[in-house]
Amino acid sequence: MMAAPLINYVALAAVMFFIGVAGVIVRRNPLVMLMSIELMFNAANLLFIAFARAWLQNVGHIFAFLVITVAAAEAAIGLAIIVTTFRPQRYVDVDEVRALHG
Amino acid sequence: MHHALGVAGSYPLLVALWLLPLAGAVIAWALGPQLRTLAGWLVAGVVGISFFLALLSWGAGTQQAGDALGAHQVLGTWMPGFDFGLLLDPLSLIWTFIITGVGFLIVLYSVGYMEGDRAYARFFAYMSFFIFAMLTLVLSDNFIGLLVGWGLVGLASYFLIGFWFERPTAVAAARKAFVINVVGDVGIMFAIFLIVANVHSIGFGDAFAAAGSWAAPLIFAICVALFIGAAAKSAQVPLHTWLPDAMEGPTPVSALIHAATMVTAGVYLVARCAPLWSHSAQAQLLVGTVGGVTALAGAILGTAQWDIKRILAYSTMSQIGYMIMGVGVGAYEGGVAHFFTHAFFKAQLFLTSGLVIHALANEQDVRQMGGLWKKMPFAFWAMLTGVLSICGVPGFSGFFSKDQVIYGALVHGHPWLYAVGIVTAGITAYYMFRLLFVAFLGEYRGKLDTSHLHLPGWVMNLPVGILVVPSVAIGGALMFGGESSPWAHFFAPLFGQVSAAATAAAPPISEGMTSAIVFALVIVGFAVAWYRYARPEVQQDAVARLRGEAEHMPAILTNRFYVDEIIEFLFVKPARRLGLFFGRVLDPHVLDGAVRELVYWAGWGGAVVRSFQTGFVRAYALILFFGAACFIVYYAIAAGAAH
Repeated sequence: MMAAPLINYVALAAVMFFIGVAGVIVRRNPLVMLMSIELMFNAANLLFIAFARAWLQNVGHIFAFLVITVAAAEAAIGLAIIVTTFRPQRYVDVDEVRALHG
Repeated sequence: MHHALGVAGSYPLLVALWLLPLAGAVIAWALGPQLRTLAGWLVAGVVGISFFLALLSWGAGTQQAGDALGAHQVLGTWMPGFDFGLLLDPLSLIWTFIITGVGFLIVLYSVGYMEGDRAYARFFAYMSFFIFAMLTLVLSDNFIGLLVGWGLVGLASYFLIGFWFERPTAVAAARKAFVINVVGDVGIMFAIFLIVANVHSIGFGDAFAAAGSWAAPLIFAICVALFIGAAAKSAQVPLHTWLPDAMEGPTPVSALIHAATMVTAGVYLVARCAPLWSHSAQAQLLVGTVGGVTALAGAILGTAQWDIKRILAYSTMSQIGYMIMGVGVGAYEGGVAHFFTHAFFKAQLFLTSGLVIHALANEQDVRQMGGLWKKMPFAFWAMLTGVLSICGVPGFSGFFSKDQVIYGALVHGHPWLYAVGIVTAGITAYYMFRLLFVAFLGEYRGKLDTSHLHLPGWVMNLPVGILVVPSVAIGGALMFGGESSPWAHFFAPLFGQVSAAATAAAPPISEGMTSAIVFALVIVGFAVAWYRYARPEVQQDAVARLRGEAEHMPAILTNRFYVDEIIEFLFVKPARRLGLFFGRVLDPHVLDGAVRELVYWAGWGGAVVRSFQTGFVRAYALILFFGAACFIVYYAIAAGAAH
């Protein structure tokens, strides 16, 4: 049985995604930006699961696992970058980290 | 489809006689400092063995089986039609005899002549290498092998002309010879392109079999391209200017390479490709005319030289002109016969002049000689027999071969070339006796103390003595009797079918009459030379007279018909201007300029693109977001439109 109509899930995922986008664009703390990116990932995961459930196909589940894996890897790299940029000056602001600008 | 020229089979002896001189060259080159004077004996021995093997190959070279003639040895196969092998037929057999036989005598002579030279072993390594290269040229059964040999003899010639590389004139002469010879190599290369494009094979046999079906312009083009090679190698007008300069090399080199063998490669090429020439009357006319012009020009220029070797060089050019004229008009046996006898008497003349040069401490100017017949009687008699032979005095070898060429021109319908041949014979007698009289008669005019001349030893005299025999007698032994002579029988299977076609009507002048006219002109030439240089009255004040003659020599003769200047004006100067144009205009402004422009605009593009790279991560994210939004909006609208 279907507990809630599909549109609810899509709406929730959209809200989560745009909260994540806003977080990445507005916040200057890389930790918070990373968390916002995780939020976007999870919005996508929610959609995968919801559509998989609605259309009774397991592909969505599998893809969700893949996204979780990639997100874990991405988080590991992101945190490593944050730590290395934090170390010299005990302070992190992504707008200050621009040694590679043109 | 495949037309082999020789009898199929294996003939390892041929490979041995071909590769032995190469082995000699490698050993003499690698172990020169250890071998010292042994290097000369080693190379002489190696070439002697090659000659012996060539004699043993007589039967194989003349064997016949159906259409096939001579021995054939496959060396390697590459693609269909591109087989490499060695071919020993009567033509290459004759050349092999001369290359190894006369080559052996000249190498032996060099053992004495080069004594004390500090690059003794290097000289013999080059000589041995040359003999290998020349054997490659004449033994190849295909055009590529011929061209390889053609290039290698040019290289060996370059090495040996420039042997004394501390002399700037020798280096310049070597370079000139090499450059002009490369012009010829390129001509042959284009001939090979044309042949391969039409028969898809490099074998002589395939090209000759197909020649009958080719269009006249094609076969003419192939013959002209081949003849450019022949003319450059054989010093034919206008590519002859390198040969007199090539006398900068040691005298044995002049005897072997620039008289007996290499310069006759053009004669070999035309004779070898007789089936091609026989299909193109225009090509025959062209080659015959060039040969006649060269014979006459060489003889005229020979009258104006004072350097003993340069006189002989122009004489060589003139005699090769005869040979080219002979094979050009279709008198193939005659042209080859003149090559055969010329190899002996010209090698003898050069080696004898080497005896004189050696004795007089490298003096080559005949004005500084004189009276040598008393000091060096052996050299005098050797020179005299050589002169009689080259002049074509009846009974001597040169008589038989030269008359075959001159009369052959008439038989094959070229009366003008016939006349040129006769006139040239008279001039030849004049300049050769001039050389003999000025150098050997009268009183000694040089600065040396002639009581202590550095007289040559047996190792130098012996080869000259041996060469006297064939240069006097071999013509009479082999070529006496016209159509029924051993020489004609020997070449009948090879040239019989190609040269028989031309003899239609009996010529108005008989062969005996021709010989009489030639001999009369030889007497005239001799008489003029006697009158000008050998009368007792003119010998009284010979020094002043010779100086006067040198001062009043016509400018056109001292400048050698201005051929060098014409080549300089037509080719060298335009080439230099082209080089300057490329170096000063095209290269810095067009080629370098294009590269510089490319670099400038690439830098500009980089600067523009780099300015987008602000380093603000959040700005990138915003752009990414709007980009993704654009895509989504686009697809949403597209999906809406589809419904």
